[in-house]
Amino acid sequence: MTSMTYSTAISSGRAQLVDFRQRTLAVARLRVLLVAAMFVVIALAAVARIGFLGLSDRTTRTTSLEEALLPSRGEITDRNGVPLARAFPAYALWFNPEALGDTGSPLVQDAASVAAQLKQIFPEMDEADVAARLASGKAGYLRRRVLPEQANKVQALGELALEMPKENDRHYPQGTMAAHVLGYVAADGKGRVGMEQVLDDQLSDPARRATPSALSIDMRAQGALEDELRRGMLSTNAMGAAGIVLDVDTGEVLALASLPEFDPNRIDADGEKYMFNRVTNQVYELGSTFKPLTVAAAIDAGVVRDFGKRYNAHPVKVGRFSLKDSHFLGDTLNVPETLIHSSNTVTARIADELGPERMRRVMMDLGMNDRPAIELPARGFPIWPGEKWPRLRNMTVSYGHGIAVTPLHLASAYAAMVNGGIFRPATMHRIKPGEAPRGTRVFKSSTSSRMRQLLRMIAVYGTGRNADAPGFRVGGKTGSAEKPGAGGYRRSSLVSTFAAAFPMDRPRYVIIAMLDEPKGTTASSFQRTAAWNAAPIVGRLVPRIGPILGVRPDDTRDVDMSDLEPLVGGGA
Amino acid sequence: MMLFPLVTLIAFGAAVLYSAAGGSMQPYAQSHLIRFAVFLVMAAIMTRFTREWVKFLAYPIYAVVLILLIAVEAIGAIGGGSQRWLNLGFIVLQPSELMKPAIVLALARFYDTLPPGMTGTWRAIVPAGLLLAAPVCLVLLQPDLGTSLALVFGGVVVMFLAGLPLRWFVLGAVGAAIAAPLAFFFGLQEYQQRRVFTFLDPESDPLGSGYHITQSKIAIGSGGLSGKGFNEGSQSHLNYLPEPHTDFVFSTMAEEWGLIGGLVVIGIFVLILGWGLRVARRSTDRFASLLAAGMVATIFFYVVINLMMVMGLAPVVGIPLPFMSHGGSSMLTNMLCIGALMMINRWNHGQRGRTFSS
Repeated sequence: MTSMTYSTAISSGRAQLVDFRQRTLAVARLRVLLVAAMFVVIALAAVARIGFLGLSDRTTRTTSLEEALLPSRGEITDRNGVPLARAFPAYALWFNPEALGDTGSPLVQDAASVAAQLKQIFPEMDEADVAARLASGKAGYLRRRVLPEQANKVQALGELALEMPKENDRHYPQGTMAAHVLGYVAADGKGRVGMEQVLDDQLSDPARRATPSALSIDMRAQGALEDELRRGMLSTNAMGAAGIVLDVDTGEVLALASLPEFDPNRIDADGEKYMFNRVTNQVYELGSTFKPLTVAAAIDAGVVRDFGKRYNAHPVKVGRFSLKDSHFLGDTLNVPETLIHSSNTVTARIADELGPERMRRVMMDLGMNDRPAIELPARGFPIWPGEKWPRLRNMTVSYGHGIAVTPLHLASAYAAMVNGGIFRPATMHRIKPGEAPRGTRVFKSSTSSRMRQLLRMIAVYGTGRNADAPGFRVGGKTGSAEKPGAGGYRRSSLVSTFAAAFPMDRPRYVIIAMLDEPKGTTASSFQRTAAWNAAPIVGRLVPRIGPILGVRPDDTRDVDMSDLEPLVGGGA
Repeated sequence: MMLFPLVTLIAFGAAVLYSAAGGSMQPYAQSHLIRFAVFLVMAAIMTRFTREWVKFLAYPIYAVVLILLIAVEAIGAIGGGSQRWLNLGFIVLQPSELMKPAIVLALARFYDTLPPGMTGTWRAIVPAGLLLAAPVCLVLLQPDLGTSLALVFGGVVVMFLAGLPLRWFVLGAVGAAIAAPLAFFFGLQEYQQRRVFTFLDPESDPLGSGYHITQSKIAIGSGGLSGKGFNEGSQSHLNYLPEPHTDFVFSTMAEEWGLIGGLVVIGIFVLILGWGLRVARRSTDRFASLLAAGMVATIFFYVVINLMMVMGLAPVVGIPLPFMSHGGSSMLTNMLCIGALMMINRWNHGQRGRTFSS
């Protein structure tokens, strides 16, 4: 067939030949154009790609050899430079079955004897499990942390398949101390829970990680707080405890503890269960500890002018509800007696005179309607009664019911009440002298002075007597609130709180100690109220941390209570 | 008039090589310039060849290079292990490089002698296919996948332009699409398979087999719009970039001269290749037109594969960038192509008179 075509082409007329030539030429032209078009398309693709690579920062990284000299993650210290978290170059024990490079057995000796020798180096190792993993020939960690001397011993076994890669680990030299403040570093290298998460950028930034980040925490106060809280919690069989020590003039948190704690050095399921921070994340109805705030608001507004004025102490009827005291306190009470004996009825009557709008204003000024002001990532939102308060709600809020806030809210509010009336947000960062935030004024300075007297009187004559550490001029208020459960308040499960400040003649620190569901035990004289479990914690804690924080016991000083003392009959 | 962009490109290449050597003429930049000068003289001599002379020499040149390729194989077989070079004492020759222009020459000559009426017949494809297959198989045996692909590309472009029926190419493409996976799994060496996998996902092993591509992309990316400045490239100077003077010379350049430098280089290549295509179109006879287009395709293949490789668009196949990379063999090949184009340009102008300028 081909030769046929050929011969016809040859034998065809001249016109046909010209036509054929033209067609061939057209085809050739078209094909040159096609090739050129392909060239152009590919050139455009290259230009687009180089533009993409050149103009996107995706592949650009600034690296510097200097980084190798820095810790892999910045150190966290307390306010005095004591290390709380540091980068820790550690060894791990890794089984690499391909280390010998051939297809034979990855180990020189048999798996069982290697496991036995490893067991001698690491006594807590599960010998059978390790032997099985060595025999399986699969690569993997045998152990995450190996001490240098243990690493030397493993090296001496002469098994090339046992490798000890260097890994950067995070070490918390104080163990569980301040675990909720610090948090931990997860396997992905990012901080979690506490300041590790908050300071993540700063701790991993090459420019800044060389300098340790100082927290406001004082390691010694933190240790004492955790110790006393734990003792209080265990002696009353409570399910949890929370505590905070706050500087009233700067808002710095000197100690913050939530029990039970977790160990940031070892994160497991148990630890994750306890990562919840009761101080900043859990909201509680804090009960009678709100009464001083109500009285302060009433004094500030001019509603309470005469401390000798006697109020009706019988139950208050609002609609079908009746507000009562826990037991009969007398027919009438004046303001100091109300606080000393912790009367719900009189506090509610004072709040009623003050009115819901003014009450709500003060609570908002104290930050009770928003998450607590602190850097920590886990911050609980209060149960806040909203815009328009009915008369009954105003009365219950006055003694700490129908409003639920975190212990940190309470600490900040108490700080504002005793420091001269200035509210400042709490902070976990160390504040240099003179750099404290200005804060906002909530109470008059005179109101604050009155509150110092009244809080001190509660500790001297009232429910706070167990907190009155000799010489430290402690003042404070108890609060024992029933926890709400299904179908109302449960009489048996309490949250007992003691909110304190010291020294009351010139307050420096606020302390909140809180027990979650304490039981009546011999240690608390079979009582479950704050006077018998939370107040003693503060009473023992203050002598321990006072001298450390610059407050010396002094029997010759105290806040002047002489104008109010006659009103309570020199004692209850 | 195309010498100006070419000289510019060579000079730019020398500057980049100067930087790649850590700010020194030795060992790359100087030999780069000297080689260019020598090969430019060679190209000038080539322009003196007449059309008939070249036509006469086409098959003998092809035969000689083919014999050299067989010699490489034979020496490799005797000496044990594969070899791509032939040490002739005064020069280390890589015959597979010489084969690139030689195959184009031989195919152009073949289609020149083939009567136009026979382009649709088996006579148009079978002898040409044999001419192409012989060197490709020899180069594959070396094994050198990149060069054999370059040979195929040059040959196929000449066939395409010779006017072979389009359906053959479509069939060929379909056949290649079917054969490629089979060849990949059964024909390629393991290191070659790994390169392809690495190309598909370089970040899977950035310190191992993906290192080249990753570092190259970092170099190009870190140049940004205007680059880090002459002699300031850290990727090349600190040896992060592999082969900063040969295969990855474009990355070295892009790091220091940025996007602008990259666009200038690509622009110059467009000028040179566009000139080559114009030469091909102006040629009145089939031989000259096919030869010119084939030469352009050969240079083009170098440029495209190298650029795509350093930008992470193609697997790392070890093909240098023409006129910029340091290396004698590739410079020789590309200058042979340029010389041939200049020669054809002269033929074109010679027909209209003796005034030629190149």
